[in-house]
Amino acid sequence: MSVLAIRDLTLSFRLWSGPVEVLHGISLSIARGERVALVGESGSGKSVTARIVLGLLQDQSGARIGGRVEFQGRNLSGMSARERRALRGRDISMIFQDPTSSLNPVFRIGGQFREVLARATPGISDTKARATATGLLEEVAIHDPARVLDSYPFQLSGGMNQRVMIAMALANRPSLLLADEPGTALDVTVQAQTLDLMRTLVDDHGTSVLFISHNLGVVREFADRVYVIYRGRIVEEGPTRAVFEHPGHPYTRALMAAQPNLTGGGLPRIPERDPSFLAPLVVHGDRT
Amino acid sequence: MRRALSILASNPLTIAGTLLVALIVLAAALADVIAPFPEHQGAVVDFVNFNKPPDATYIMGTDLVGRDLFTRILYAYRISLILGVAVLAISVPVGVTLGLIAGYLGRRWEYIIMRVTDVFLSIPPLVLALSIMGVLEPTLMNGMLAVTAMWWPWYTRLVYNIARGEKVEGYVLAAEVIGASRAHVMFREILPNCVPAILTKMTLDMGFVILIVSSLSFLGLGVQPPTPDLGSMVAEGADYLPDSWWLSVFPGLAILLAVFGFNLVGDGLRDILGADR
Amino acid sequence: MRNVLSQTLRRTGTSLLVLVGVSILIFAIARVIPGDPARVALGPNATAEQVASLREELRLDEPIVVQYLAYMRDLLRGDLGVSLYTNRPVAVDVAEFLPATLELILVAGVMMVGLGLPLGILAARHRGRWPDHLVRVVSLLGVSAPGFVWAVVLMLAFSYYLGWFPVAGRIDEQYDDLRHITGFLTADTAFQGNWAAFGSAWHHLVLPAFALALSGIGQAARLTRANMIETYERPYIEMAEAYGFPAGRIARRYAFKPSLIPSLTIIGLDFAAMLGNAFLVEAVFGWPGLSRYGVQVILRKDLNAIVGTVLIIAALFILVNIVVDLLTTLLNPRISHAPGGRA
Repeated sequence: MSVLAIRDLTLSFRLWSGPVEVLHGISLSIARGERVALVGESGSGKSVTARIVLGLLQDQSGARIGGRVEFQGRNLSGMSARERRALRGRDISMIFQDPTSSLNPVFRIGGQFREVLARATPGISDTKARATATGLLEEVAIHDPARVLDSYPFQLSGGMNQRVMIAMALANRPSLLLADEPGTALDVTVQAQTLDLMRTLVDDHGTSVLFISHNLGVVREFADRVYVIYRGRIVEEGPTRAVFEHPGHPYTRALMAAQPNLTGGGLPRIPERDPSFLAPLVVHGDRT
Repeated sequence: MRRALSILASNPLTIAGTLLVALIVLAAALADVIAPFPEHQGAVVDFVNFNKPPDATYIMGTDLVGRDLFTRILYAYRISLILGVAVLAISVPVGVTLGLIAGYLGRRWEYIIMRVTDVFLSIPPLVLALSIMGVLEPTLMNGMLAVTAMWWPWYTRLVYNIARGEKVEGYVLAAEVIGASRAHVMFREILPNCVPAILTKMTLDMGFVILIVSSLSFLGLGVQPPTPDLGSMVAEGADYLPDSWWLSVFPGLAILLAVFGFNLVGDGLRDILGADR
Repeated sequence: MRNVLSQTLRRTGTSLLVLVGVSILIFAIARVIPGDPARVALGPNATAEQVASLREELRLDEPIVVQYLAYMRDLLRGDLGVSLYTNRPVAVDVAEFLPATLELILVAGVMMVGLGLPLGILAARHRGRWPDHLVRVVSLLGVSAPGFVWAVVLMLAFSYYLGWFPVAGRIDEQYDDLRHITGFLTADTAFQGNWAAFGSAWHHLVLPAFALALSGIGQAARLTRANMIETYERPYIEMAEAYGFPAGRIARRYAFKPSLIPSLTIIGLDFAAMLGNAFLVEAVFGWPGLSRYGVQVILRKDLNAIVGTVLIIAALFILVNIVVDLLTTLLNPRISHAPGGRA
């Protein structure tokens, strides 16, 4: 049985100017322990898909959702708002784009961590929460958990906050982790490090992941399987290797062509000895 | 513009406020025509019909010397609105200019102007106006001066805060680079960016000037009898509660409606001007 | 914490400077009276000797700078001069009337925060739906009428019509000979264990305080709503949603605290403005406070008392603002825990 099964999901918003269709019936599934990427440009509908899985859009007035979203065999649309809320933070969890602005600026990390732990263990004691949090922070290779727990988010680096977010997201051992462009706001090396860490952890825990990204380089490293989404439709899907080696859909090819090769080790090789390298492209004073 | 209209249309409270303000301004302007007893705006005595509860002739009742309350409220509106315009006509240009100077020129100017502003803002508005009125003769003119004296610093502070942020923006730098004069930068470059905030505040303040002026006259330090004034009418009536309730309730309601109307319009304006940015 | 301390000290220093400015301003206003201030103060029936003696007492024949410096020298010794209205030292008058006003303002301030903030949270949580519209209208109405109008309306409804509250005064007459310790009747009666008098003091206090608080409640609600709505757009609220925290908890904890920080300054200003609005409410409810005293002395052009009263009010106003600044600093970890200031 798959952890997540989406069938024929549609979404439209009612706006002043009339309804706007965002998703035109997408289907995807994620097996236990599988890492699946949803790839597409911004505005293609990948982020809203994650928010529907979390049950955040169902309660919004003006959003119309059709199709089926099954989490561990249970239909999300059939649930009450309360039941959906009960899943969040415990069985389904999420990592956001910008770690620093996603942590509340006026509370210490320790307090926020405790709230997350209390989702699975209501009324958890301060000492217990702190001990658990310390262990979880060590798991994400934070060497001084005590200092981090006593800090406010703005006192930590982006990479450090990202590790905290990963630790929080996995704290209650969810069966599904949604990662929406994780670490895009960070610089590339830090992003790579934290992704490595995330992969190791989800492997260890057997967590399924829906990984949302526009960055093919990152997807290639991380995902077992890829769905390509374009204007609210899935245009291609398959095992990561297969899709990357033989992209079938023209959009996928275009996406790959547009992608700088970030993970290959710096700049692509340029023939510097070529005389064209020195030829100026802009010539001044050549008015006609 | 169309966007502004659609925001307006989506906000019934703003429309209600605009209608309310229009109604009040119109009623004040046409008081001579509308008022049932125009002569009651002055010192008239009618001992036959004094202190009468509302009826068909006197829809809001009569006061202690027999004057029609409705008539007096209309004329009081007229004076309040004129006062409001006069106060803003002086305090806005003064406050805005000082705010631009302090915010853009900075240094000594900023220090002197903002400290003086702080001094004025450190006395509760009403108390400052009261003490000025206390030493001056309580006339319409002095009332206006007293309220103006407490009003300009708010505009100085508003514009100062915006100007300080704008002066590091690219367009200001660009103007400086091509050698624009300081006056040009302040009034032609920075000022237009302050206009939405100033306009919104002015609309809200029309209501609040009416409120403060009525507060002064409520305490006996504003407009003097027989000139009709909403605040002094409430004060007069408050001594005759609860039996002659109309004496204070209708003028009080009149203040409430006017300030409420300007507040609604100001709120709506903030949405529209903010959205158009 | 070092940041907080140094910031507060700096702020207090600036405020003292501003207070000196206020004293100059008020002193100047009180001395530019058209005509002879002494004659104006004593009225047309005073004899020439009386006027001359007052002129001497106020040092009116000396340059205004000398007058001011002399006044400030006395002020630093706690001497605010003698009131022509009560014939007592102004300092004594202020000490007698101030507690009643402070008691009124404090209770009104608690009402402002205790009702205004929850209403604002409620409106923000139900944005665009009926609770929001209701709160918007109610708070706008609160802001739109001066304190005296609300005082009249509330008095008419609750004192005369419903008879729930007394019409005027601070306490029932039978407790008039109660010993004053702090001047706060609610506290004094409690200290002396006189619970009947304690009830009576509160009974008299509630309605005027509410009349005074109404505009502040409206202002606080509007402000809280606006800031909450802005905060609701932040990623950390979405994250809290994603973790399934209950909506009420998100509103009260995750969204409220970040929204409170920018609101606090304005709420503090509104609270301080009650020092002025108390003039209006005290007049209607016959509340024997500093504001009523202030109106009396202003009407009688009692110079020493005017300057003294305004200075005391301005000092309180500034004090409130310092406290609010301190609170903002403490609540905002970005200031209190700025790099370098880590405890």
